[in-house]
Amino acid sequence: MSRFLYLNELESKSIYIIREAYWQYKNNLAILWSMGKDSTTLLHLVRKAFLGNVPIPAIHIDTGFKFKEIYEFRDKYEKKWSLRLIVAKNDDAIKDKMSIEKGRFDCCNVLKTATLSQVITRHGFKALLVGIRRDEHSIRAKERYFSLRNKEFKWDYQNQPLEVWSEYYKTKQNRDTHLRVHPLLHWREIDIWRYIKRERLPIVNLYLSRNGRRYRSIGCQCCCEPIESTANSIDKIIKEIQHTDISERSGRSQDKEKEYMMQKLRSLGYM
Amino acid sequence: MNNYLKVAIVGAVDSGKSTLIGRLLYESGSLHHGAANDVENSCRLLGRDFEFAYLLDSFEEERRDQLTIDTTQVCCKSKNGKEFIFIDVPGHRELIKNMLCGASYADIAVLVMDILKPIEEQTKLHVLILKLLGIKNIILVLNKIDKVNFKESAFVESKKSIDKFFQSIGLEPGYCLAVSAKEGCNLMDKSKETPWYQGISLFKALEKYSGKLPDTHFCFSTQDIYNIDGQKIAVGPIISGRIKKGDTVKVLPSNRKSKIKTIRSFDKNKSKAAVPESVGLILDNMESISRGCIISNSSIPKLATEIKVKIFCLVSLNIGQKVKIKCLNQDVLGQINKINRIWELEARPSSPEMMLENDAYFAEALITTDKPLITEQFKGSNSLGRFILENDKEICAVGIIS
Repeated sequence: MSRFLYLNELESKSIYIIREAYWQYKNNLAILWSMGKDSTTLLHLVRKAFLGNVPIPAIHIDTGFKFKEIYEFRDKYEKKWSLRLIVAKNDDAIKDKMSIEKGRFDCCNVLKTATLSQVITRHGFKALLVGIRRDEHSIRAKERYFSLRNKEFKWDYQNQPLEVWSEYYKTKQNRDTHLRVHPLLHWREIDIWRYIKRERLPIVNLYLSRNGRRYRSIGCQCCCEPIESTANSIDKIIKEIQHTDISERSGRSQDKEKEYMMQKLRSLGYM
Repeated sequence: MNNYLKVAIVGAVDSGKSTLIGRLLYESGSLHHGAANDVENSCRLLGRDFEFAYLLDSFEEERRDQLTIDTTQVCCKSKNGKEFIFIDVPGHRELIKNMLCGASYADIAVLVMDILKPIEEQTKLHVLILKLLGIKNIILVLNKIDKVNFKESAFVESKKSIDKFFQSIGLEPGYCLAVSAKEGCNLMDKSKETPWYQGISLFKALEKYSGKLPDTHFCFSTQDIYNIDGQKIAVGPIISGRIKKGDTVKVLPSNRKSKIKTIRSFDKNKSKAAVPESVGLILDNMESISRGCIISNSSIPKLATEIKVKIFCLVSLNIGQKVKIKCLNQDVLGQINKINRIWELEARPSSPEMMLENDAYFAEALITTDKPLITEQFKGSNSLGRFILENDKEICAVGIIS
């Protein structure tokens, strides 16, 4: 057990950030929950931060292209954890049959980013907890814990605010903007899995190997490829990650579509 | 497993900081295929050879213009299984805010210098910032030894001048290494290219250090008060030390003694807790406990309305200027009352009427506050010994309590 004492420090830092965001934004704060391993870990940290309750709503950005296992998982834990769930869909775009056939960049942008923008406006959210991590992608590695998005949703990555030590963040923003709060920024993939094991968190079974393949990162069904793997338990996943030199999001199409795709998506407000 | 060591890689523009980290990732086998492919594609598009720096410099603008704009962090494992977080920072003076952001997380620092150049102003500024932040463990890397044909004389000469600078500010680098980040020389193991070199490799040097140890006295910072089923609970992080149910503690600023009735963590009660846990505390008397209150069992945290500080300013600040002081979760108004000394790279004439119209300088000042502030003397990493000043919602200075 003592091997994983360092997880306490990661956890405590995340809880500190969640509580700072709540102190500032109270009812204007929400958490983005995709039911993936990271945002489920983040949701667990929120439950810990508020001593068992979840006082903020959980938003699911539903593109309509998710796996059925994801929806089952969502419905089960919405009840079990007494969540206030907001399912956000871009109905107009779905009616227009937006899909990857119209281009991955546009598809992500319209079904995820625009949907997010709609739900923020509708509910008046000022800050969102988002479960991104530095080690997922070199663009995400450049993020701050409290990251501002302007009215047009843009990320001004050339002029990010100063954050110092573990205590001080720019938690306030002006009108017409919102903050992305990233409490998991300092966690690595392996830390997430060790924590899931330690805290006995539930995960979508797509992460576990079936017929020699498993999903290492889960998004929309059309843009996600499983990896070859025999890891059918959390212990085996931890062991696998320790020895792999394949990157976590290797199965995610939107990262590979073209040069700087992630930077362009993120600068327009993608998660 | 211990927590990983956080290492800031600092130094002037073009000294090779990002290249060094990229090369360390590669040499230690910490590189993912996807990341290397991304860099290869990008280099092909720009018509350049493989650039290790692009593993860190991920923005289009950074790669195109070959500079680091913002700080980033990556993980790396040594052969012996020890883990490091490398923090890359920009070297440009205009980007000093981003350097400060990255460096503030570090346990130790690696200072990278171009062996071909005399000590640059930015190098000195970075070292002075490390000193203020309490980062005393510094590994000196004299980089680009390949550019001088791996000659000992260049190394000796460069080392002499940097030693002199370190002496003048009262610091001593832990190691001084001859390195070529580009060629991977003396990074993992000693290189055959430098047979004269008596020192150790960078990874060997890094493995000698461990993280900073927190203090032992109990100290808890109140972030918020949650009301759960009619019960008020003070929530926040344990900054140092440990606590048991039933312990007597002191609440600051009221100075009232109280007993720990309950320690809450998640949905259950605990009998004890320790740094770095974030917990909920219920005391015998929850009256007048609010955000910013410090709960402690020690006489080290003190109340003061006048504090003597050393600050690093990002904008010009005047005597008499009103500022907001934030120390942990305390938030008070204050005023810069007196400035005893200003220095940038060299000392400035003493007792100026007003700080100069310039950014990025250091000052020794006296700050008065409108409400008592709970602080401790800064000893290297204690949170109550350091603070920020805010002006118009922006951080305008970081400081330590002298």
